[in-house]
Amino acid sequence: MSHGKGPPPEERIRAREQRVIDGRDITPAVGTRGEPGDWRRAAEGAEVRGFRRRFEDAGWSFLYRTGGSRYAAARAADGDGDAGVSAAARAMRGGRDVPVEVKGPVIRPNVWTWEVPVYFWFGGTASGAAFAALACEAAGDARSARVARMVAIGAAGCGGPLLIMDLGRPERFLHMFRIFKPRSPMSLGAWCLLAFSNTGGAAVAADLLGRRRTARALSAATAVFGLYLGSYTGVLLASTAVPAWARSRRFLGPIFMCTATASGAAATRLALAATGTPAGVQPTRDGLAAVEAIAMAAELALSALNDRGLGIAGRALESGRPGRLLKAARALNATGLAARLAARGRGGVAADNAPSVLFLAAALLYRLGWVAAGRPSALDHEAVATLGRAGSP
Amino acid sequence: MSAAPTEIAVHRYDGGAPERLGFFTDTTLCIGCKSCEVACKQWNDLPADGYDVRRGRSFDHTGALSAATWRHVHFVEVPPEAVPTPHEAQAALGAGAGGNLPRIPAAGTIGAARADLDLVALAASGALPEAEIDRWLFASDVCKHCTNAGCLDACPTGALIRTEFETVIVQPDVCNGCGYCVTACPFGVVDRDPYDGRAAKCTLCYDRLQDGMEPACAKACPTDSIQFGPYDELVERAKGRVVELPERGIATAYLYGAGDEGADQLAGGLGAFFLLTEPPERFGLPAHADSPIQENAPVATAAGLAAGVAAAATAVVSMLVAHRRSGGRGRGRARGWRR
Repeated sequence: MSHGKGPPPEERIRAREQRVIDGRDITPAVGTRGEPGDWRRAAEGAEVRGFRRRFEDAGWSFLYRTGGSRYAAARAADGDGDAGVSAAARAMRGGRDVPVEVKGPVIRPNVWTWEVPVYFWFGGTASGAAFAALACEAAGDARSARVARMVAIGAAGCGGPLLIMDLGRPERFLHMFRIFKPRSPMSLGAWCLLAFSNTGGAAVAADLLGRRRTARALSAATAVFGLYLGSYTGVLLASTAVPAWARSRRFLGPIFMCTATASGAAATRLALAATGTPAGVQPTRDGLAAVEAIAMAAELALSALNDRGLGIAGRALESGRPGRLLKAARALNATGLAARLAARGRGGVAADNAPSVLFLAAALLYRLGWVAAGRPSALDHEAVATLGRAGSP
Repeated sequence: MSAAPTEIAVHRYDGGAPERLGFFTDTTLCIGCKSCEVACKQWNDLPADGYDVRRGRSFDHTGALSAATWRHVHFVEVPPEAVPTPHEAQAALGAGAGGNLPRIPAAGTIGAARADLDLVALAASGALPEAEIDRWLFASDVCKHCTNAGCLDACPTGALIRTEFETVIVQPDVCNGCGYCVTACPFGVVDRDPYDGRAAKCTLCYDRLQDGMEPACAKACPTDSIQFGPYDELVERAKGRVVELPERGIATAYLYGAGDEGADQLAGGLGAFFLLTEPPERFGLPAHADSPIQENAPVATAAGLAAGVAAAATAVVSMLVAHRRSGGRGRGRARGWRR
């Protein structure tokens, strides 16, 4: 998580102002963080002096007098006033243009640090590797499927700790599993990661025990969880008030799915290369090369499509650090595609593996760029206000 | 919008149901005294934000709601419609028109004291004070306790709950600081404390409500700009105020967050709503808002899952094609797949 630098302000104030004058401690009370005050009565059950039950202490003012106050009009009950009231609101809140200078901040920027995009990348790679395992099984390459399953569980295993590290209270990560909340993409994602890790881990265990049939069934289940694990990270970003993310709601899931599939296939390909390439494995490596190229090409197409509909919300994606990251990702992606086309059927080991490395790096940069865009986009007051004027995105 | 009828109905107590409680903040009464900020900090034992004066151009030193600031009085200095730029002022002076320099309060006195002073050069250098303020607006901002609360929808741990008063609170003993509610709030209210690690926001003084007392800020407000009470009563009075104000010379008064119908509603209706006389953007409020989760998650999830199915299918098909192309894999397939 992003910790504040140095001691919190109230500590500095306490240290600076700590004084005793005439025997009286006049250190200012500057509060505690994180929870509402913990007040206790001096005498249990005693009532506060002057307070009247049922919130009647809120009605002391002359404003609430029914007859004598000029504060509010006594309105007819026929509802004529209601139409006027909603029309007044529509006059001031309607219209597509922001009529005045926006006094920001309207929304708060996200508080996530580097762990989150890197987790997104690992989670995506795990999901893509689960698809690769499924594909290898379908093609009958059991050995490659085993490697792919190991890649999947390895990536998921790297992602989990990152997810915990980013929490403000990492020791409470199990609270994620207090409830199952289909409404919340983060709750679903946490459960999905848990299920994915369990089935993926069990599949690897079944492989090690030589239980082929069990491993295949578990592999299929892992791939089903992978459908959500690979895409939910995009859904999670899209389900926020941040303009650049919310405006991309139709494409962010698919875009993340594309890079997830590509990075999973690329990681599996590289793992296959690292574990030696027996004669039967080459078609699998060709298949994975096709998968990663198709997925990355689809990513480029979807991104271009998405950029066209962003309007003012797209500013955050084009400039600054997120702009540089996404540009670099796109460049790596294009280079990888070109290198794959160039290396078709010839070239050595390096030429064969370089595109996979490029795709993996591009996928990471895409994740970093998309998450980095959250902060400038949330602080782009004009974009937030314009999105608000446009109503529902 | 896509807002569901909300889970409020689910959370209502049976029988002797306490009604919905809320705030009505009437900004036409606000004098910018910040009593509400102080009362909130004191009652809720919230830490100080430090003495840094960061916003030299405004009296709004609080800046925004945060994990340690649950009430924030907006100070909005509205400039006159047309503020002359130094360049325009110079051009006007050059044309012998006298320019708009009298708009600058200090200019007259400086000019009288020193006849040789080059006001134009001073204005161009930016050394003179800013042009005068046309209107000075105050509005005490707070958590809106939305009907469709984005933070509540986002929270994966169930730390954010709807109380029996139909307010929204964070349970500090449950929150694990994932930070999702921060981005899911369309009003920029919830924040994760950088030192504490948990999310925090206005509780509408849940502890006081349980004792039948009004929240600290409403109690402290000296002009009743912050009014507290049963929601329906508040809305009724607020509508009366909107009807009343045009007759008193304020034509642009409207309610932000209550009294709207259907798609005009803000997040299904705000438990803490406002009477404003300026466009909402003046106070950093969006013109339209709803729970981002309810608006975006269904369509985004559908798109993502569809893409997932397509990706898995592509992976399988590409692999089968590659194996068929290489030839002689029929034997392998039979061995691997059908056994």
